[in-house]
Amino acid sequence: MEFTVDPETRRAIEQARELGEKELRPAGLEADRRGAPIAPDDPFFARCIERGEGRTRWRGPDDSAKSSGGPRSVISTLLVMEELAYWDRGVIIATPGPGLPENNVLVMGTDEQKERFLGPFLEPDRPRWACFGMTEPGAGSDAAAIKTRAEKDADGWLLNGAKCFIGGASRSDWILVQATLDPSKGRKAQRAFFVEQGTPGLGGFQIEKKMGLKAYESTSFTLENVRVPASHLLGGEQRRESNAGFKTALKSFNAGRPAIAANAVGMARAALDESIRFAREHDLLEQDRVRDRIEAMARRVRKARLVCLKAGWLADQQRPNIIEASISKALAAQVAQEATSMGLELIGSVGSRGDHLIEKLYRDVKAMDIVEGTGQVQRMIIARSLVGLPR
Amino acid sequence: MFDLDAGDEFDLVVQTARQFADDALVPAMRDAERAREPDSGLRATWNEIGLAALELPEAHDGAELGCLARALVNEELAAGDVGATLALDTFGPAATALLEVGGNDALAAGLAACDRGASRLLLISGDDADCGIENDGGGERLSITAPYVHAEAAGALVVLLDDRALLVESGFDFEPVRGAGLRASGGASLRADAAPIAGNWENAEGASRARARARLYYASLLLGVMRSACDFSAEYSQQREAFGRPIGHHQALAFMITDMRMALEAARLVVHEAAWRVDRGLPCASEAASAFAECIEVSRMVGPNGVQILGGHGFMADYPVEKHMREARALGLLCGGFDAAIDEAGRTLVEQTTPLALGASGAL
Ligand SMILES: Cc1cc2nc3c(=O)[nH]c(=O)nc-3n(C[C@H](O)[C@H](O)[C@H](O)COP(=O)(O)OP(=O)(O)OC[C@H]3O[C@@H](n4cnc5c(N)ncnc54)[C@H](O)[C@@H]3O)c2cc1C
Repeated sequence: MEFTVDPETRRAIEQARELGEKELRPAGLEADRRGAPIAPDDPFFARCIERGEGRTRWRGPDDSAKSSGGPRSVISTLLVMEELAYWDRGVIIATPGPGLPENNVLVMGTDEQKERFLGPFLEPDRPRWACFGMTEPGAGSDAAAIKTRAEKDADGWLLNGAKCFIGGASRSDWILVQATLDPSKGRKAQRAFFVEQGTPGLGGFQIEKKMGLKAYESTSFTLENVRVPASHLLGGEQRRESNAGFKTALKSFNAGRPAIAANAVGMARAALDESIRFAREHDLLEQDRVRDRIEAMARRVRKARLVCLKAGWLADQQRPNIIEASISKALAAQVAQEATSMGLELIGSVGSRGDHLIEKLYRDVKAMDIVEGTGQVQRMIIARSLVGLPR
Repeated sequence: MFDLDAGDEFDLVVQTARQFADDALVPAMRDAERAREPDSGLRATWNEIGLAALELPEAHDGAELGCLARALVNEELAAGDVGATLALDTFGPAATALLEVGGNDALAAGLAACDRGASRLLLISGDDADCGIENDGGGERLSITAPYVHAEAAGALVVLLDDRALLVESGFDFEPVRGAGLRASGGASLRADAAPIAGNWENAEGASRARARARLYYASLLLGVMRSACDFSAEYSQQREAFGRPIGHHQALAFMITDMRMALEAARLVVHEAAWRVDRGLPCASEAASAFAECIEVSRMVGPNGVQILGGHGFMADYPVEKHMREARALGLLCGGFDAAIDEAGRTLVEQTTPLALGASGAL
């Protein structure tokens, strides 16, 4: 066994730390104070592009494009994610790039789709975003119940429905919209469609007022007779009849949930460090109760980090990690919430003023138990394998 | 590098421990508890498989596999029967305590005092006993009062204090008590009045590492007990039916079982990381204390929930979960228990500004 960070990852963490301190933390605090997402034309995003961020992992049509760099293994990615979220998780999500749907396009997109939709992210001329629209006002956890319809006609596809809470939707070049060909057939009948910004019928963008993570927009929108060409079905026409290959591709391995877990760990660690700093500044470190809280917070950070890394390590070994990925997310989100809450107890009524970092972390981290499958959904997944919980 | 594979050498000893637990410890569990000791057959098999010397240096005919190997093996053994494990592993965490504090000479003295494990070398943590040292002119003498130790006989005591370890070979008495758990290991209150001190090694840093190893010793036993409680109750929940389906298919129980498993998984990783630090010679006092605290906290949830999942049946001695619940609690009270552990971990943590910063010292 080994529990060390390799030198290359350590350098990447160090870079993330510098960036975090200089850019991410101040931008996050500012967005939180203003109660609004960082505007698309904010110089912050231009600086992201200058630094080489906001690029796709796709390497171009002839595989010649420069890789966007960054850490290679899942473990390494998770450690850097932890560090970035330590400084500000909301700002990370706000950062330009092909974001959540990129993986789906890489795994399942046709060559033409990669070129058309990821191509502009190879050397972006300006900050560009993309997003994934799954959740609807009437269906979140029960993703099989989404109602957005996709109907085929001679000219392509006609989409109708409504989506909510979609990260970066109003500023995205395109939205990968999950829709159903037949609502009575559940997940089997669902397909994803590229809908480009400006397509007639795509509208009603409304940026939600959120409790935390204010640096990025979570947006609801409607699709009214939105027409997209046949080539905008993710995976191409061949996916019209069956989605089977896609499910298999995503089945045995999950890096998304450990990534959320890593974010939660970073946030909890930030709350820990702030608590120690506060206690030191206020001469509280000699109090048993204060030290006990700090110890309890640190213990939560430590264990959440390890379960998260275990899930990542299995992924790196190409070993199935579905259970561990769910454990990491369910556990890290929960214990990170506890840790930030303990931090608030430690700073006492200062936390009630609404302008302390720990208070912000307490609000921000709640989302980690909701996005990408709630804590309950993760437990359902784990329980299926532990005790055969029926679907 | 992050790597959770234990490696072939460890796999072999873990496999041996698991087989011994399944084949020998589990079937004899209730008998050993009633008799307050494992029977001679168990002892003979234990001596054959040679797990006691796992951590001892090669110079003392040990396998020198370290603290992580001990943690892995302990979990397996305790998943079988933790009381019997404590009785069979006559060195317990006492031998490594002598090694850490006083080096090879201290260890040699300890091994001689217990006739190389023919009798028990019992670790007494200063957190679990009132200890007083006096000098009557003829040398230092030790008085001890401990309300409970998990033994009722020993060849020698190793008393671990903040800055030293003492070896006591005579002048102590055990008065057996029933014991809340761990009965297969015996149980007694311990008293020594001005017992002669056969060895006294001062070394605060070594004592701190010795305490870390002792905590990890018990923490890994807790992992085994908890694993048994989790496995048994999860299995039962799929057999027993209520309201027309297996009880484990009611979400309230399914989620409880899931939470038990998640907590166990996390506690295990924390123990392994701390043990790895011990083996690497890295600072480990805070990590080991924290790992022990984590195991205790989790066991307070897992133990009673294991019983809850079996309902009234869980309350009866016909099933092992009531034993898991009692034994987990008894283990968690050793070495000063939860409070001493979080106190030590907390004091170390607050000496730093960003104690869990990534990669600062190469380790996580
Ligand atoms: C900050 C933020 C960003 C987001 N970004 C995106 C995005 O970019 N794209 C996107 O598509 N979505 C996004 N979401 C939506 C998110 O994925 C959903 O909110 C989430 O899946 C939960 O769905 P819901 O809100 O409809 O809750 P519901 O599904 O209505 O759940 C309500 C409660 O019921 C519980 N529950 C549901 N079913 C069960 C069950 N069978 N057993 C036990 N308990 C159950 C849930 O755990 C939850 O506690 C975002 C959400 C947030 C908060």
